[in-house]
Amino acid sequence: MHRIILHVDMDAFYASIEQRDHPEYRGRPVVVGAGPNERGVVAASSYEARRFGIHSAMPSREAGRRCPHAVFVPVNMARYVEVSQQIAAILSRFTPLVEPLSLDEAFLDVSGGAALFGDGAAIARQIKTAIRAETQLTASVGVAHNMFLAKLASDLDKPDGLTLVPEDPAEILAFLAPLPVGRLWGVGKVTRPKLEAAGYRTIGDIQRADPALLGSLVGRDAAAHFKRLARGEDDRELELDGEEKSISREYTFDVDCESKDVIRGVLMDLVDDVGRQLRKAGRYAGVARLKLRWKGFETITRQRPFASPACDDFSLRTAAEGLFEAETIDQPVRLVGFGVSRLQAEPRQQLDLFADAAGPADSKRERLNRTVDSLRDRLGDATIGRASALPRKDGPRH
Amino acid sequence: MKIVIGKDAVMTGLQLVHGVVGARPTLPVLSNVLLQAQEDRLWLTTTDLEVTMRCAVEAKVAKAGATTLPAKRILSIMRELPADNIEIETDEKHSSSITCGSSFFKILGLSVDDFPPVPKYEGGHVFTLEQRVLKEMLQKTSYAASADETRYILNGTLMSFKANKLTMVATDGRRLALTEHELEFPKEAETDAIVPTKAVNELLRVLKDDGAVKVHLSKNQAGFEFDDVLLITKLIEGTYPNFRQVIPSQCDQRITVEREAFLIALKRVALLTSEKSSSIKLAFGKNKLKISASSPDVGEAHETVSIKYAGKEIAVAFNPDYVIEPLRNLANDEIYVELTDELSPGVIKCDVPFIYVLMPMRVS
Repeated sequence: MHRIILHVDMDAFYASIEQRDHPEYRGRPVVVGAGPNERGVVAASSYEARRFGIHSAMPSREAGRRCPHAVFVPVNMARYVEVSQQIAAILSRFTPLVEPLSLDEAFLDVSGGAALFGDGAAIARQIKTAIRAETQLTASVGVAHNMFLAKLASDLDKPDGLTLVPEDPAEILAFLAPLPVGRLWGVGKVTRPKLEAAGYRTIGDIQRADPALLGSLVGRDAAAHFKRLARGEDDRELELDGEEKSISREYTFDVDCESKDVIRGVLMDLVDDVGRQLRKAGRYAGVARLKLRWKGFETITRQRPFASPACDDFSLRTAAEGLFEAETIDQPVRLVGFGVSRLQAEPRQQLDLFADAAGPADSKRERLNRTVDSLRDRLGDATIGRASALPRKDGPRH
Repeated sequence: MKIVIGKDAVMTGLQLVHGVVGARPTLPVLSNVLLQAQEDRLWLTTTDLEVTMRCAVEAKVAKAGATTLPAKRILSIMRELPADNIEIETDEKHSSSITCGSSFFKILGLSVDDFPPVPKYEGGHVFTLEQRVLKEMLQKTSYAASADETRYILNGTLMSFKANKLTMVATDGRRLALTEHELEFPKEAETDAIVPTKAVNELLRVLKDDGAVKVHLSKNQAGFEFDDVLLITKLIEGTYPNFRQVIPSQCDQRITVEREAFLIALKRVALLTSEKSSSIKLAFGKNKLKISASSPDVGEAHETVSIKYAGKEIAVAFNPDYVIEPLRNLANDEIYVELTDELSPGVIKCDVPFIYVLMPMRVS
């Protein structure tokens, strides 16, 4: 069947809600997040603020410098969640096939909706009208026959945009060709400079690239992936299950931290927290992920798969330690985070040859952790813990 | 250095050694191939500090000398040049002029002094066997090695020279492949070496079917010398797990299967496995094997293969790759599958010294 995919992206979502709820903010630069004299970052900014070069994840102090007369408002997440649910309800009137990506964007598969609502463009217009009428907010919508193109399109005509991607393969090529290479999924901070240095600046450059040459630059699999995307091909399906896809925790140091021991200690606390949440959810994780943000806001994430899906703290800690020890802490760390993803309902089913040699069986460790969890649930978190998490005699650990 | 070399000769040399050069070397000079010209020979050397590969090809040496040049780039230039004589001349600033017909390239190199010295043999023992034998033994086992860095001791293939036999083993902790070959050597030469997967893959790529290979083994290094090629690798240090203990001494049931038919059917049915459900079910009945797979979000597949079997019905689930890989790397027409029950190790054997043990998957 011919697919019709919509990507609905709310325009400056948090900031627009604040402007709607506070008429006095309208037409003024609005920055949602930490105050201009506080430590913290911009969570969102209105279009007026963006004109001053303010963008999300920028330190608020920097935003204050760029635009001292901006309105700084704290994040009111409960309110945004409420509005997000209102929008989700609107989207679900058009199709049950909705994959929310975050509070302010979602994919819709409306392939089956033509008889009821008209073609993709007609559905997109109805969605925009309904959102505006019921929430006084605007959304930008991309219409295409796959997810990659739809998401790319929604971003081309913001705010309040509606972009239709052509269906004819030759027209798709022409549509994509002038766009910068950074628009391809998977081309980010690392890959983009590499591609640009080699002369691949636009998607058109990738379309014309020799697969072997591109492969020698970014690896064969990535090259094939970029070539496909550059032709506008993407056959991924929407992920519809509402189950949690990842669990993560992070911690921002009050004062940037340079001590590897202190960071490791905090990381282990985060790991325990994630482990407990994971066990509570009754899931097993396939991948562990470490996040470090340096003083200068540069952030790195490193991940590695578990040899077998795990939910016990021992496996999680080993993974976190492995990722952490591989990093050189040569500058102060501002934030440390740990997360798990590729969650599944069952532990690994593959049996081991050297069961006895590999230490205690996973199931034994899992039982131990579950016992500790139930003790903590009943008697409080301080009941039982790792000895290494206790304050040392020579002072608090962090 | 100034040489004239045929395109075929230089390509042969570069293709032999370029595989060692990694995508992101830790030192700039490790991207380069060391070229040394003397006495009608051009020696080419590459290294990643773990594995070093060296070979010699014929060349007319007008002026002996050496340089280093970026390996991948030189390979791509040579590949595109016409099949003719190529002149390479190096100046004192490490840049080389490459001339072929009317084509001219000037390539910047790095100083020979920066290039790590080729490791030397220190003591140890030397074993000689046919290249074909070494290659076949590696083919039959090396795919079973682990790629999980947390199990580094399993990130290679064990070569155990004991009791006048070379035993080769690879395992990832869930399946294990073993093969043996009789070989004469003195008792005091008995030794074990775990050869890292990268070196194994290079050996598989460059070993030929004819001629002998000399294997030099010392405590932490192995050298493989054949024709005009030398591969030296660091060994994985540590004690390999006791693999003998996981090989079942006896299984209850023995099934004879035609390898090719089994392999093709497995490959087809395995198309219906997914990340969520990665197992394949083998149901052995009287002279009949039913292979099936199902994936909740994709669909299902099954296929029946004729076998020789008169024992009790037995069904067991495996990771399909764990069954496909040994079959793909064997050449026998018939293989034997030995099983006890759905949770005990399965064994694949054939009429050559080869044994493969694999653990089933538990399915609910």
